[in-house]
Amino acid sequence: MAEAQSRPEGSRALLWTSVTVVYAAIMLFPIFWMASMMVKPNDAMFARPTQFLFMPTLEHFSYVIEHGFHWYLLTSFLLCTVSTALVVIIGTPAAYAFARFEMRAKDDLFLFILASRMAPPVCLVIPFYLIFAKVGLLDTFLGLTLAYMTFNLSFYIWVLRSFCRDLPVQLEEAAALEGWSKPQIFRRVVFPLLRNGIVATAVLCFIFAWNEFLFAFMLGGRAVQTLPVSIPKLITSQGVRWGEMAVVGMTALLPVLAVVFVLQRHIVRGLTLGAVKG
Amino acid sequence: MASASDTITPAEGVVRAPRERLWYPYLLIAPSMLMLVVVSLVPFLYTIYLSFHAAKFGRVTDFIGFDNYAVLLTDPRFWNSIGVAATFVLIAVPVEFMLGLAGALVLNQNVRGRSILVPLLFMPTMMAPIVVGLLWKIMLAGSWGFFSYNVLERFNLLEGTSVFASPEFALYALIFVDIWQWTPFMMLAFFAGLQALPMGPYRAAAVDGANPLQMFFHITLPMMTPLLAVIGLLRFIDAFKVFDTIYILTGGGPGISTETPSILANKMTFEFWNIGEASALAVLVWLAFFAFCNVFYQVAKKRLNAF
Repeated sequence: MAEAQSRPEGSRALLWTSVTVVYAAIMLFPIFWMASMMVKPNDAMFARPTQFLFMPTLEHFSYVIEHGFHWYLLTSFLLCTVSTALVVIIGTPAAYAFARFEMRAKDDLFLFILASRMAPPVCLVIPFYLIFAKVGLLDTFLGLTLAYMTFNLSFYIWVLRSFCRDLPVQLEEAAALEGWSKPQIFRRVVFPLLRNGIVATAVLCFIFAWNEFLFAFMLGGRAVQTLPVSIPKLITSQGVRWGEMAVVGMTALLPVLAVVFVLQRHIVRGLTLGAVKG
Repeated sequence: MASASDTITPAEGVVRAPRERLWYPYLLIAPSMLMLVVVSLVPFLYTIYLSFHAAKFGRVTDFIGFDNYAVLLTDPRFWNSIGVAATFVLIAVPVEFMLGLAGALVLNQNVRGRSILVPLLFMPTMMAPIVVGLLWKIMLAGSWGFFSYNVLERFNLLEGTSVFASPEFALYALIFVDIWQWTPFMMLAFFAGLQALPMGPYRAAAVDGANPLQMFFHITLPMMTPLLAVIGLLRFIDAFKVFDTIYILTGGGPGISTETPSILANKMTFEFWNIGEASALAVLVWLAFFAFCNVFYQVAKKRLNAF
């Protein structure tokens, strides 16, 4: 009886699994295609009908290196690391405070944070550009770090607060009764429990900064040039360098690939600002 | 010790320590709030200031009241951009919603290997939008693009040019790209919701002999409604902001056929240097977003018990 039931159950699972696999394969095909273009010679790339087999070449890689794109990669990496670190340092206490303490006008403050997150970047880039031009922050590392605070700091506080609220408050109460000071409680009770949440949220911040285009393009672009900004620059007056674009695009994709596997459950929570616990 | 901790009522979820309580939380939020005032509130107020002044080519001159708004609101290009954004959002979001829900239901059917499939499905959503744009620029490139040549030309839909160069179809191509990028997000958020549903009602319904369709409409859907609303609303807000993919794929063209308010504001600022009018546009967009964001907050808080 049990066996007779498990067989159709197993074949149904197989059916839905194959449906999902086929769907994923079709959806991800463009990424594979771009990956193949990294080593595809130009004449094969533009061939009609589409050419699937070709002699791989490294010419696109050498062009990218010759034109110093590894510096843009380094800039991107440093910028994202520094701005994420700053977000974690000043955002963690704030998220904890919003989760645990009563404050005046807490709801309004909280809504202000949400509004910073939701604000369209295009609206921010206008005042940023003019203010930065006046105070000499245009095309500087510090300027972009500040600009990234608008969406990442607000995002971080908002999401980490939802992680804070999952912690049992009794532990903190017990520590308070032991006579621990509040900074001690935060450091020795809350922080260790919150570590996973902090890492997950910080990694998402890193990815948002990594993917950011508009600020980096308008407020940076020469001295401080990030990887996404370097992509449109491959549309040159002599034509579009597709193979090189594929190389840079895939490089920009690598950290994302790592992150989707490592963070899995936390991504949904992050992208829904903590509304859905993945 | 144990008896002492019993006297604390944990119900309120607030750490009590009477004397420090007043200033401690404000100290914790001070650096962040200060930072957000500088990078978010100040730019907003400055934009309002600019929108009431004559400002061209980076030079801010006279106070001119609502003139910038009057010019903007009589500009057909502004209304065109609203129309473009409305078309974009009203097609893309419902399609993503339906496909996402369908996908989530499939994923919920004890699909094997989810720990590999789920991350892979997330790729389009987590990628840099500029790379998403690049990907589809390649797939839909005129004449040699994989999709252009093998699908569009084969069915005589297009000859020799990219779909992004066509005034009639460019917007729909952008909608298609948005659907490709964001359906996974909807799907995996809904899937997370489905996984969190309690089993009890389904067992009871099975005992009563309900079929899967009845279960879906009478159990799943009602229980999922708040979540569906919150996710739909969030995506709705974000879809209005799309900039990067449109910028790299069409730049608002051909003509103004794909020019959303975001693209228009950017052009007004960095191409025409018409900063007063661009600021007026930014302020209007901003106010609309505050309204949306408030609705999102209230719905998520009340219906979903989130936050």
